[in-house]
Amino acid sequence: MVNLTIDDKQVTAPKSATIYEAAKMNGIKIPILCHDKKLKPFGACRMCLVEVEQMKGRQIPACTTPATEGMIIRTSTPDIVKARKMVLELLLLNHPLDCPVCDKSGDCDLQNLTYEYQVNSNRFTDEKFNHEIDYNNPLIERDMNRCVLCGKCARICDEIVSYGALTFIDRGIETKIGCEFDDGLNCEFCGSCIAVCPVGSLLARPFKHKARFWAMTKHPTVCGYCGTGCNLTLGVKDNKVLTTIYDEDQGFHKGQLCVRGRFGYQFINSTERLTTPLIKKNGRLIEATWDEALELVAARLSGGAAVAALATPRLTNEELTLFKKLLVENVGTNNFDHAAGYAHTAITEGFARSFGAKASSASILDIQKSDMLLVIKTDAYETHPVVGFEINMGVKNKGIKLTILSDKRGKLSKLPDATTLVHRPGSEVAILNAIAKTLIDDNLVAGSAATIAGYAELEKALAAFTADVVAAQCGISAADIKKLASEYAAAEKALIVFPVGQAYSGHTAELATALANLAILTGKYDKEGCGVLCLSEKNNSQGAIDMGFFAQDGGLNGVEILDACAKGTVKSLFIAGENPLTSYPNHTKVKAALEAVEFLVVSELFLTETAAMADVVLPVCSFAEKDGTFTSTDRRVQYFKSAIRKNVQIKSDYEIFSNLVTRLGGTVAPTPALLFTEIAANTPGYQGLSHVSLRKEGAFAAVATTPKFVIPQADAPFTVEVGKLALVTGSALYHNGTLSQYGEGPMHVCPENYIELSRTDASLYKISEGDVVTVSSASGSLQLKAKVTPRMPAGVVFSPYHFTAAPINTIWNGSPVTSVTVSK
Amino acid sequence: MNPITPIINGMKITLKHMFMKPVTLQYPTERPKVAKRFRGLHALNVSHDKAKCVACYLCPTVCPAKCITVEAAEDANHDKYASVYEIDMLRCIFCGYCVEACPVDAVKMTEEFELANYNRKDFIYSKERLLVK
Repeated sequence: MVNLTIDDKQVTAPKSATIYEAAKMNGIKIPILCHDKKLKPFGACRMCLVEVEQMKGRQIPACTTPATEGMIIRTSTPDIVKARKMVLELLLLNHPLDCPVCDKSGDCDLQNLTYEYQVNSNRFTDEKFNHEIDYNNPLIERDMNRCVLCGKCARICDEIVSYGALTFIDRGIETKIGCEFDDGLNCEFCGSCIAVCPVGSLLARPFKHKARFWAMTKHPTVCGYCGTGCNLTLGVKDNKVLTTIYDEDQGFHKGQLCVRGRFGYQFINSTERLTTPLIKKNGRLIEATWDEALELVAARLSGGAAVAALATPRLTNEELTLFKKLLVENVGTNNFDHAAGYAHTAITEGFARSFGAKASSASILDIQKSDMLLVIKTDAYETHPVVGFEINMGVKNKGIKLTILSDKRGKLSKLPDATTLVHRPGSEVAILNAIAKTLIDDNLVAGSAATIAGYAELEKALAAFTADVVAAQCGISAADIKKLASEYAAAEKALIVFPVGQAYSGHTAELATALANLAILTGKYDKEGCGVLCLSEKNNSQGAIDMGFFAQDGGLNGVEILDACAKGTVKSLFIAGENPLTSYPNHTKVKAALEAVEFLVVSELFLTETAAMADVVLPVCSFAEKDGTFTSTDRRVQYFKSAIRKNVQIKSDYEIFSNLVTRLGGTVAPTPALLFTEIAANTPGYQGLSHVSLRKEGAFAAVATTPKFVIPQADAPFTVEVGKLALVTGSALYHNGTLSQYGEGPMHVCPENYIELSRTDASLYKISEGDVVTVSSASGSLQLKAKVTPRMPAGVVFSPYHFTAAPINTIWNGSPVTSVTVSK
Repeated sequence: MNPITPIINGMKITLKHMFMKPVTLQYPTERPKVAKRFRGLHALNVSHDKAKCVACYLCPTVCPAKCITVEAAEDANHDKYASVYEIDMLRCIFCGYCVEACPVDAVKMTEEFELANYNRKDFIYSKERLLVK
């Protein structure tokens, strides 16, 4: 800590603080345009000039000067005010005074400062800029005439997003912010640049001219897409969510969002939303009253084990608990699963047996505290972009070593000094076993490892996995495996990150076990910056696991439930928010199952193709219209409040389930808040939490681990049939689940399904970018648009699963790798 | 004082007024003279065949009666214009703040004061009705 005097006030600040930060910490405001607390100091705007007595009264920028012991600083002497006025005059010289038509007006740093410093006239004259305005981009409008050249957009795109789409181009008075070759913007569209722009140079096009900043109420909430648990602020006017608003103090990610969080909100106020219950009569869905619909559902639910349920993990913890209570206590069935709970066996089975806890042993905050990151699949960035930002910052700012084990290269591979080991698809577990074997053979294990249960058995079971044998099967060299093992063992702190999800069918309990073994062997768990972090797919996947909403105690899992429907043993199926026709493997089988089941009830926001097959459709609330808690992938429990009033015609899932419980003769807590007190009392790690205590900030639910070595079963190496390609499935950066199809932002950037293939394969099959190709597997064939990328290794193709119009599950039946033919 | 004197004084005034021009206006056959600064019905100024309004939302923001509804949109030239501009005359208090707030001289107040109507909905003046003809 250093002691200094700012404006005659004695203050202390950490040694690393700049004058600006020291002042801010102590409640002294220094005006600024070019600084953001997430970015490195830049010193472009000269608004933050201060006088330091020791520097003979010279004016120095507060945002780039470190605070030192004994400094005597003045932040607003008449000279400084004069200098700042001059800075503003010079900025306003070129800045068009089009505040009435500029959407930034009201939230504009330049406007606020001009008002504060009363810059009413200008001593200088000059021409305004005459840059061409980019209206063509569907999400980000660039008007460089308004730019003040603070460089925040270029820096955030480089330092945090690590894309580098925007940069300064040209020199001197011609300097402007632009893209490569002054071309159009074609990036990830996370919108971070819009968030930090202090003026109206970069604007969100979907929000253009919708409302003024001051006319909106701001509602902090939790993002409803992936499991990262980002916080966001919704801008609401006239009971409509119009935009997301940047708040640099929000969440662990400091307001940083991805394309889905920032631009994917339109589904909330979509005109396609269901507004009344529907009942199927004579093959057509007819509008009905709630009483009719719920009476019918209640009557068909009393069937014991012949009833099954699938729920989306986008429901709140309270709703999932209540749904489980309805099923177990009132209906009497154990057949329920959350969105592909089978896809989360890495947590429910893998971590459960290796760590004795159904949760990751590390948190997202550990990423930046680690020394080495081992990322399984480059898709970790695509499934959880904001976690990806943390990795970017760790690698670029803190020099964390990054090694990626993946079947394709990706965004993370491009980070400085990142090592990417591209292996044959489906051989992750074998490689991890070989690493474990190397650790044991080279005596790199932690001293305490041998005392942990199962060590001897593991050592014996790994005998076959020598680096040489595995290397021959997996397409990476034995030296690489050995190097990775020694680096992992040598790192003081190391964290393993891997995504799971409905399309990552290879990321099973076996993979989790193999990864856990590495952490336990080297003692890298339960410590800061260490452990295994499994990135669960949806916003409340971890919550669904914590609430026990997955197949257990002899209940059928998601896939088995559909099989049972086809066989006729399950007669009534309640699907809450799931869309298995698109997201579950094997389209034909799912369709047959949904056709075969006697009674299908679907609660949904939209009339999805699954809902269209239902006997009863119940319209429900989105996350913006209800209260509750979500648990993020690292067990951060976060409370959120409704941002808008719901349509009176629709009900929340909570209301539906409690109504059904009452109809079936049970009793239920009247509000989610009261139910949460029950949850907190009964769920390990949730003790002491309540809606009130979570109101300000989320809290981590503790994870207690008891390590044990378990032998992971490696599948036989996958060999592609001759003349075919290996198809791996996964998530696209712009989408999450099937919900993002109703968000305009994601659909502008990535409107349809595609197949990514390597340049080698593209030239072999004479396919060029954008060609429509037929992809066929043993289970079917599908027309997809080709995308030729350098990241795919030869012989491997990739396709995401989110799209209803061309569902990948018509050619994918749930196996980690599928042999396909691709032809024009 | 003599009790008759005040009566005589009063009658004097009455008699004087009998020979003066009457103040009563035979409305509607006779029309009042409305001052230039009178704050009557609003009108939207037009320039180059288009309303001057750029939908900056300052008038609905400043309006104390919350009677102005503006919705902005983008035209073919990417310029901002008011796709909806409505004033609810039943709520308007004719304070003239909207005119004062307007940065582009798009809204003015006319000398028009005859605003009576038969239906409530007719008091909602749409953009078309407000445009200067």
